[in-house]
Amino acid sequence: MTEPSLVPAPPISPGGAEIAVVYAGDYVNKLSGQRIERECLLRLEGGCRGLVINFRGTELVNSIGVSILLGVIEAAEERGTRVVFSHASRHTVKLFDLLGLTRHVALADTDEAALATLAEFAVAPPPGH
Amino acid sequence: MPPKSNKTGRILGRVVPEHFVGRGERLREIAALAAPGSGPRNLLLLAAPHAGASELLRQSFDELFRQRGSASPVYFDFSRKDRTTAAAARRFLHAFLAQTVAHRRHEPALVSSAPPLRGLLDLAAPSDYEWVEGLVESFERAEGAADERSLVRVCFGAPQAAAARGARTVVLLDDVQAAEHLRGEVELGSEVAQAAAQSGVPFVLAGLRRRLLDVLNGAAALGGLDLMKRVHLSALKDGEARALVGHLAGAHGVALNDETRDLAVQQLEGSPAFITSLVRAAQVKGSSLESFRDFQTLYVDELMGGGIHRRFGSVLEEVAPAPGLRRGLLRVLHESATNVGGKSPAEVWLKRLGLDAVELERLMRALHSHELASFQATYVEATPGPVWSDYLRASYRLQVSVEPRALVVADTLVEALKRAPRTMARHYRRESALKLNELMRRFDFQRVPASLLNYDRYARLYRGVPADEVAAGLDAETDLVRLPQVVHAASCAWFHPPMAQVCDEERCAVAHGFDTTTYADAGEVVWVAAEIESKLEAGRALTEVWLERLTQVAVACGFERVRLWLVAPEGFSSEASELLHEREAFGSSRRQLELLAERLGAGAESAAANEFAMEIPMGEDTELIAANTVEQIARRMEFQPEAINQIKTALVEACINASEHSLSTERKIYNRFRVENDKLVITVSSRGLSAPAGISDNGASFVENNGHESGEGAKGRRGWGLKLIRTLMDDVEFERVDDGTRLRMTKYLRK
Repeated sequence: MTEPSLVPAPPISPGGAEIAVVYAGDYVNKLSGQRIERECLLRLEGGCRGLVINFRGTELVNSIGVSILLGVIEAAEERGTRVVFSHASRHTVKLFDLLGLTRHVALADTDEAALATLAEFAVAPPPGH
Repeated sequence: MPPKSNKTGRILGRVVPEHFVGRGERLREIAALAAPGSGPRNLLLLAAPHAGASELLRQSFDELFRQRGSASPVYFDFSRKDRTTAAAARRFLHAFLAQTVAHRRHEPALVSSAPPLRGLLDLAAPSDYEWVEGLVESFERAEGAADERSLVRVCFGAPQAAAARGARTVVLLDDVQAAEHLRGEVELGSEVAQAAAQSGVPFVLAGLRRRLLDVLNGAAALGGLDLMKRVHLSALKDGEARALVGHLAGAHGVALNDETRDLAVQQLEGSPAFITSLVRAAQVKGSSLESFRDFQTLYVDELMGGGIHRRFGSVLEEVAPAPGLRRGLLRVLHESATNVGGKSPAEVWLKRLGLDAVELERLMRALHSHELASFQATYVEATPGPVWSDYLRASYRLQVSVEPRALVVADTLVEALKRAPRTMARHYRRESALKLNELMRRFDFQRVPASLLNYDRYARLYRGVPADEVAAGLDAETDLVRLPQVVHAASCAWFHPPMAQVCDEERCAVAHGFDTTTYADAGEVVWVAAEIESKLEAGRALTEVWLERLTQVAVACGFERVRLWLVAPEGFSSEASELLHEREAFGSSRRQLELLAERLGAGAESAAANEFAMEIPMGEDTELIAANTVEQIARRMEFQPEAINQIKTALVEACINASEHSLSTERKIYNRFRVENDKLVITVSSRGLSAPAGISDNGASFVENNGHESGEGAKGRRGWGLKLIRTLMDDVEFERVDDGTRLRMTKYLRK
């Protein structure tokens, strides 16, 4: 099983906020989910304004892993940070869809597309303003 | 030269030595008494009822008898049938001489068919003739003089007299408590104890643990008893009892499966007597023990008229010989057992039984000795064991309520079947408990990283961190907590009985100790700890409820300095952690507890031709191995890639469910993959708790863990496994099994 890892991306938003890319690994379960969670929370606490979770090579995601991912999304939402999932296989996307994750997160085929999505969010004015 | 050992089989033993399991240590301890010189010379064997003390002594006799050239074993069981102390003494002397001569002549047949005393003289070896004759003559003189005390002393002094002439013996006395019922001028119990203490000959004095010492002490405490080594004989441990059931079933040709074996062990309380009785009944009736129904049918037969019935029946006859009194006794015992807490006032007993205080005391002593009830100051408490409770209920209905036998049998059987899964669930919960009281006993002023007792700190520092880094981090921590020295730890329910209503006995503990090295008031502290159930981090509401419960225990018991400690498997939410801080309570996750246990030196307690089967251990991502296997099978069947992914995901979820819900003690998941023309059928089963309440046969309507918290604070993020499985597979069904859960999932081929 490959370990999730963190790759900070260059700042791309107009305000210069940092965006991080976290790689999920081949099996997202409780342990690897917690590692993803840890990496993401560290970034959020560091002021990261956009998170990309990259599922390239992810073969399986179990329901515990999904519940942890949902926790990450909630934590990001509380801080006004957007999360984009990239490179998720068709099967993984269906699974996320089944469990309602896709209602809370944007999907992108590539990291570049994910960064572009985050850039769009960054320039859009916050709702209610 | 090692002692010669012949091939003699059983002499007094009721089972062949190979099937006598679980008492090896005790057997060796008794056999060692035969070796001259070293070690303790006498043993006091304090036995629980039905624990197999008699069989242990009989097996010890056979073992010693097989060793030629060693001390001769002598087995004697006290019996009320002797009626008088003189008769018992006479029978002892005869047994002593017969068995000693039998051993020294190496003639086992003499043990059971010995001639009268004078006849034994003719059989004694020339070297023994003189002392045997001397004993017989002394006995005849004492008997002729009608001097009971002399007679008793001659008879029970025989081992010493024989030893003085070089005939070494090991004397095994069974059912010693029966001596108190024999009529005579002499207190036989204390005479026997005196003989044992002063003779220099090894004695084993065995009897019921609640009565033996009183009988041996007699009217005045006997100093010699304090020098005897005391050993206890209780019910068999689970593993030993399982082995016994297996051995007996094998020996008697009774078909047995693991699930039924384990139920037998739990329901029969590890009692060798009950287990033996039930397996023998299965043999006699030609029954098997391959399902819970088989077992419960036999069990009810045993209760209503078999060996278990006879055992309890004979004890009740002994306690209350008159039929009227016995019926009255059944009534008050049953009423006590059905009262809240199993208690009733002693005055009610006096009135209902029409006894005076002295008679009631005699009766209570007898019930107490046999552990059928306890007498506590002003009330009587019926012993709550399942077998005794079942016997009591059935006997009450038959003999007091005079209900039709068929109705009582049917009700008892139905109730026993309904209770079986609960019995196993209770066992699994007990086995999976963290055993907080054992852990606290090991505190002993040790200093441990504070993060092990504060979940929020632990989560902040170590959640998601590799194990070796966690260990290094803990080693480097400078904020340490000095634990108290615990001097006593026991279940909360023993201190505050209402806790038994909300918590398993093993999951809540009270530990008394000191946090200063001097035993002074100022240092006295009581830790009250509980293990709470929550699949996710425990939320504030649940934490608050438990803190209140533990506080109630402390208030009810009058504890002054108290430290509360909660353990939740996945730790606590941030709100719950705040609450713990406010109350100055500790909170740990299961992982923290395991790390704490490691630091305290107390590791917490791991077909058909077209069918593939695999058994995987729970945990460590082993579900991936099963998923990879099913992938290969599905590829061979030419399932589409998407379907293969669905099958793998469903299987992973099924394995996770088995690991999370079963509390399985064997920690195994059994997977079967059956290949059919148009479908793949996957069965995932595990032993342990059954599927959680609320799951229908098709896996619908998932309700968490019998109403326990379903993820407070996690916004209902868990409990999706079954929903996923049902979505990913075509058919999903729970199959009924005696023990645990079996989930069958089917995926059809669509090419």
